[in-house]
Amino acid sequence: MKNGRWRKKQDKKISSKKQNGHTMDETNEKKSNRKKGVFRWSQTWVDAVYRWLRRLFFGGSRALVSEVEEKEEKVQTGKKGKADKTDKESFGPTRQIIKSFFSRPRAVIALGILVSVFLLVLIGPIFSPLDVSYVEPTQQNVGPGMGMMRVPKGLSRDVKEISSYSRFSVGLSNGGKVYVWGDTESLNYSVSQIPTALKEKRAAFVAAGYDHAVAVTEDGKVYGWGQNAHGQYGAPPENNSSALLYTWAPKEVLDGFGNAQNVKSLVCGYQMTAIVTQTGEAYIWGNANSGAVNLTKLRRQIKEQSALGVGVKEIRFTAANAVALMEDGRVLTASDAFKYVRDERGELVDFEEYVEARGMRFVDVGTSSQTVALLSETGEVLVVGSSLNGEERVPTVASEEKIVQIEGGLRHYTALTDGGKVYSWGSDEWGQAEAPDIKNAAKIFVGPFQNYALSEKGKLVAKWGLNGYLMGTDGFGRSVWNRLLNGGKMTMTIGAIAVVISSFIGIAIGCLSGYFGGWVDLVLMRFTEIVSAIPFLPFAMILSVIVQTSGLGETTRIAMMMVILGLLSWTGLARLIRGQVLAEREKEFVTAAKAMGVREGKIAFKHILPNVISVIIVSMTLDFASCMLTESSLSYLGFGVRGRPTWGNMLDHAKSSIVIQNYWWQWVFPSLFLAVVTVCINMIGDALRDVMDPKSSAER
Amino acid sequence: MIQYIIKRIGYILLVALILSLVLYLLYNCIPMDRAAMQLEGRKQQLMKDGIYEETYLALRKQMGLDEPLLKQYLYWMGFAPLNGKFNGILQGNFGYSWKYKTAAVELFAEPMKNTVFLNFFATVLALGITIPLGIFCAVKKGSGRDAAVQTFSIIGYSLPTFIIAIVFIWLFAVLLKIFPVSGMGTPNTDYTGVRAFLDKLYYMALPLLIMTFASLGGMTRYVRSSMIEALSMDCVRTARAKGLKERTVVYSHAFRNALVPIITLVIGWFFGIFSGSVVVEQMFGLNGIGRLYIEALSGKDYEVAMALQMFYVFLGLLGNLTIDLAYGLVDPRVRVNR
Repeated sequence: MKNGRWRKKQDKKISSKKQNGHTMDETNEKKSNRKKGVFRWSQTWVDAVYRWLRRLFFGGSRALVSEVEEKEEKVQTGKKGKADKTDKESFGPTRQIIKSFFSRPRAVIALGILVSVFLLVLIGPIFSPLDVSYVEPTQQNVGPGMGMMRVPKGLSRDVKEISSYSRFSVGLSNGGKVYVWGDTESLNYSVSQIPTALKEKRAAFVAAGYDHAVAVTEDGKVYGWGQNAHGQYGAPPENNSSALLYTWAPKEVLDGFGNAQNVKSLVCGYQMTAIVTQTGEAYIWGNANSGAVNLTKLRRQIKEQSALGVGVKEIRFTAANAVALMEDGRVLTASDAFKYVRDERGELVDFEEYVEARGMRFVDVGTSSQTVALLSETGEVLVVGSSLNGEERVPTVASEEKIVQIEGGLRHYTALTDGGKVYSWGSDEWGQAEAPDIKNAAKIFVGPFQNYALSEKGKLVAKWGLNGYLMGTDGFGRSVWNRLLNGGKMTMTIGAIAVVISSFIGIAIGCLSGYFGGWVDLVLMRFTEIVSAIPFLPFAMILSVIVQTSGLGETTRIAMMMVILGLLSWTGLARLIRGQVLAEREKEFVTAAKAMGVREGKIAFKHILPNVISVIIVSMTLDFASCMLTESSLSYLGFGVRGRPTWGNMLDHAKSSIVIQNYWWQWVFPSLFLAVVTVCINMIGDALRDVMDPKSSAER
Repeated sequence: MIQYIIKRIGYILLVALILSLVLYLLYNCIPMDRAAMQLEGRKQQLMKDGIYEETYLALRKQMGLDEPLLKQYLYWMGFAPLNGKFNGILQGNFGYSWKYKTAAVELFAEPMKNTVFLNFFATVLALGITIPLGIFCAVKKGSGRDAAVQTFSIIGYSLPTFIIAIVFIWLFAVLLKIFPVSGMGTPNTDYTGVRAFLDKLYYMALPLLIMTFASLGGMTRYVRSSMIEALSMDCVRTARAKGLKERTVVYSHAFRNALVPIITLVIGWFFGIFSGSVVVEQMFGLNGIGRLYIEALSGKDYEVAMALQMFYVFLGLLGNLTIDLAYGLVDPRVRVNR
């Protein structure tokens, strides 16, 4: 923006020498022609409106030139055919400009890039809409790349188990071999290295948590790998007081279960692990402070039940809670989060009462991050908890079918019927709720956003959902690509509207001031000087603080942002136009127009303005870039748009060297887009200035 | 000349007054109660004693908060006596920082030193590079090397400072580990004299580099275009016709003519750069004016922010004045015109 000012001063100098295309002859000719033209050309309304618009934009003379050209062309093609049409080409100024613009390869490339980025951010958000409130802690700082669903070749025909909680998946073949794929390396954990002790043995169960994975071998030993600073697996480290915060694996688990036959299931949650034995005992350990806040209460409930002789059948984790499905078909939730359920009339009723009243017994349980889905003996699905993503909109299954298995992702559920069909519902930002139409599924596994359907023999028959992030995710687990598209739209919209506002003010003030001169000029120019004396960035910051503290809505605040930028950046253009108009006003064609009695306003805006239009176009182009940069700087400093992405505030987190060093995708892509777009705009602006002003380009 | 100077100074003062009024009114758009803010710390005690309400009202009266806005502005500027005493900006009272519990003006000394240090060196460095480069490009206009410099300078001035900063931090601090990522000096040391200066320079080096780099593109283009203009002047043609050496023509005849716009550039740049260093100071955690301003704004320390804003406005106007005067000094035609 600083640069912009200097540039404009320079523009003024160069373009003040500009020659104008109008001559007196032309004006006179135009006048007489216009009178005849009323009859000749207004045969259709469309034609008339079109011509009127052309005149408005290009001025009368240019419209005339092209009309003459058209006539000549007709005559020529009529006489000689198309052969020597290229021979005699006479260009109007507009075509001349366009032609010489396109003869500059750099400018054309820049234009091409700009147009494609523009289309991308314009069309992209339609296919990848923005969810402003979307935050996903399990997907933080995922690197760019695909492959979250890329089941290794050796596994895909012979799957026994697939488990995934955050960004990587572990799989187990029927031969007992363990596989790991997905985003296996991160700053906080590394799960790509399977422990050598485990490699040598045959595994019977595997499960993946947020940053760790656990396997039970056939001889009943429990192995973990990945992060274990929060008690995910293994014995607590000695002499470490912070280790006391977490629940560590009990002695029975560390000793092993003797044989995998004794283990019924192994499940992982957010830094949590649970093993259920065949005897109905449940061992739950890990970072209970965040992964299972209801652990103490749940343990007590399980103990009460086991005293009555009822063992645990399954343990499942939501984002912050653990639930237990008992062998008698009842469910222990131990948390107020699952206290209520919606009945048929849509009213909230107590979960326990609801279940008691209907005598429901459950056979399977699945969990999303906030809800629990329970499958009753009759194949009915009951969703408990705050369903924010449409988890409770359970699809109706064909009457001859019955749901036999239900699994939950982070924001969706997938169910399997006895007819081998699969159904998915819930939120669908990554296509995880778009179940394919298959009939031979016998088993399903569901990751956070992924689904796998297996045949009877353990062959992978279908997979759907999130395969990875094209440009990674940011510190809140939001897709950088999605934010880039939507942020680009926002940045460009703000830049464009700010330019329109500033150009409007600049043109009006410049024209009036230049044309009328005298005290009008004096007052307006003093005013311009005062505004331009305002230091831009600090002033924009205070204005944005005022807007932000004013309690306006988000959209209004963004609109105000555009107005602020527009109001502060018109001065350069106003001066530029004033200088131009001052020069044009002394030309003969203006005198001629005056002598003919054309109104003053009409002279200023219809006769003089078209002659300075090239200056305006160039200046608007360059201002567009500087407005985008200003918006980005403001957003980057935290004084611009908040709550919605822009290319500036996407770089907000790149203030810390940790992000700069480790999460390069979070700053490289937004910077790259912003830089490429502004460089292209400036290149186009420069090229436009050169082609619109032949003298200056000869000078260069 | 003297008449011209007086005219300009008078005009600048008038603009400063208008802007200060606009600023004051703007700051009053922010919902805040200065009296309540001042009593914030003692509120509990006063509430217990049951005299909060009356202390608050008395303070409001003392601060003149119940008066009309325009009158408050006069108090703030020091044009009208508040409680029988002129005590405003003109008397050197720039307000009070609620955050640091001191007079605002005391906060400015150290940051000001750092900002001036940073900006001065950045400008000198940038000029040292851009003037020769610009002249070179103007003389070799149209050559391959000129085109290359032109392309780079377009890229240079199209990039916002913070992107340049991120890339430089990544390159120099993270990858090559030459410079520290942020900070003002090595912690837990008590260097003095040359050692302290070198340490400071070491920490300032990366911000300096970034600010210099950020200004290269625009400056080079500017120097180049004013030099091209100067080279096409009649006097240059005459000099060439006389058979002077090309070096003499370029440096002695053309460059002097190109100097007029360049002086404008240098002065304007120096004053304008103060607000430009806001981003860099914020990024590197440098204790400068820009960072103080951001902190004051986001920390609701509005009197400090207002004083700094006035400083920026005044600096901007001073820059304009200096440009005008320098122009008048170098180019006699300007004086006659006005």
